[in-house]
Amino acid sequence: MSKIRRDYENSLWRKLVRFVYGENDSFHEKAGYDIEHPETEKRKEETFFEEVDYTKKKKESDKFFAKYSAIAEKRGEKVYNHFYKFLAAITCFSIIMILLVTVAKLPSFGNPDNPVNNEVSERYIEQGLEETGAVNIVAGMILDYRAFDTLGESHVLFIACVCVMILLRLDKETNDPEKLKALENDRDFEPKNEAILQHAAKILVPVIILFGIYIVLNGHISPGGGFAGGAIIGSGLILYLNAFGFKKTEMFFTTKTFSVVSVSSLLFYSLSKTYSFFTGANDLHSIIGPGTPGAILSAGLILPLNIAVGAVVACTMYGFYALFRKGGI
Amino acid sequence: MEILYAILLVFLIVCATFACLHKNFLTSVIIFMSYSVVMAIVWMLLESPDLAITEAAVGAGVTSILFFVTLKKIHAMDQEKNCDEETDTSEI
Amino acid sequence: MIVREILAALFFILGTAVYITATIGIFKFKYVLNRMHVAAIGDTLGLLLITIGGVCYFGLAFVSLKIVLVLLFLWFSSPVASHFIANLEYIINPDLVSKEYKEETIDELRKEEE
Repeated sequence: MSKIRRDYENSLWRKLVRFVYGENDSFHEKAGYDIEHPETEKRKEETFFEEVDYTKKKKESDKFFAKYSAIAEKRGEKVYNHFYKFLAAITCFSIIMILLVTVAKLPSFGNPDNPVNNEVSERYIEQGLEETGAVNIVAGMILDYRAFDTLGESHVLFIACVCVMILLRLDKETNDPEKLKALENDRDFEPKNEAILQHAAKILVPVIILFGIYIVLNGHISPGGGFAGGAIIGSGLILYLNAFGFKKTEMFFTTKTFSVVSVSSLLFYSLSKTYSFFTGANDLHSIIGPGTPGAILSAGLILPLNIAVGAVVACTMYGFYALFRKGGI
Repeated sequence: MEILYAILLVFLIVCATFACLHKNFLTSVIIFMSYSVVMAIVWMLLESPDLAITEAAVGAGVTSILFFVTLKKIHAMDQEKNCDEETDTSEI
Repeated sequence: MIVREILAALFFILGTAVYITATIGIFKFKYVLNRMHVAAIGDTLGLLLITIGGVCYFGLAFVSLKIVLVLLFLWFSSPVASHFIANLEYIINPDLVSKEYKEETIDELRKEEE
């Protein structure tokens, strides 16, 4: 172990690090005796002030130390600062230049001869309504032709929420006084049981959640869909939580609800759309027909998939907020 | 229309720069919020209302709430002066 | 048709003027509560004028109903937000209200209750 440590101390990388941080101890061998660290040196002076008489040698070495350390600090700092700024400026400039060149090489916006306008988008635009039954072509694309994309996105959201849970979740019965104090301190400047907020929330929260459900259910007819509607439902839940506190929300939304809702909707999504990883996105349309375009109960699997995505997103948003706030849903 | 578009894009660039450069965390989060709102308008002008709704709900709403809660957790909101001093010393 | 559009344009201009004054006020005033007051006025009055303009422009359609719903939503949420800003300032700033005044008001409230 010690050998590895010594090797590390003598390595080129370590020397470079010491040079960059201005800890270059070139005076070390020349000074004639071992100087460990300025702090320990001071302590030695304080403790052994009466016992150790300062020899001439030590005074010289002290002068030496002061001189060289000053030089090293000054030069190291200067070099480090200049080097750092120079490097940062060069990196920024090169990234900006690369991006600008890339943008300049892009085909112009809205040009019909662009490589984007190939047979794929033609097929989507011309036959999307017949094949998927969704009036909103975007919903038809992201939840039918390219459903595996959205599958990955919703799984990413769920995994992010699980990671936050791993990092921030507190145990149920904490006896740690610091954590308890932090929990109490968290709501210092915030209203508890504020009447105005509660009355506003009573009126607003049902409207917000209704609007979110409207957006989710109309995902295949009008713009919107699972992600937007789920985020709106989640923010309505956050408002309810802020107005009434955790005791009331725990009556209908606990960790169990979170896991059941999100895992079941993700399972439903995976079961209904993972086949496209094996067969490609072109075949095997759903058993439910596209129906009459424009009606709520149409477009095959898009409506239930929208509901699943909305449930996952709403649970994730609320879960993020509750975990950041309290350390538990 | 072109002029409005140009104004919005310039506003976006200014917002992005100052959200990075500002020393106070709270201010930069609020600047980021306005960036998201203007970005939603730009999405609307580019004829993608789906993205606009999602940007307005997630970028301007939920993300900034999460940022505020995080700032509160690390006690960056109530001790602005101390925070500035700490950052000054840590930079050197 | 033309009359409606002219009315709509008039209301839009009025609403934008209110918003512009509110924005100037936010930068001009130095104290938190003044700024909050100006912003709240811009949110309520300017939004009302712009909504009336929108309703005039679209006539009696489903879109106008949606616009009125937006107005109602913001009229509920914006005063609550302003109330919280004022409340936070009241809690944080110790010099805002003197202790005697606080005690007097509390005494008056008690008397009213009795």
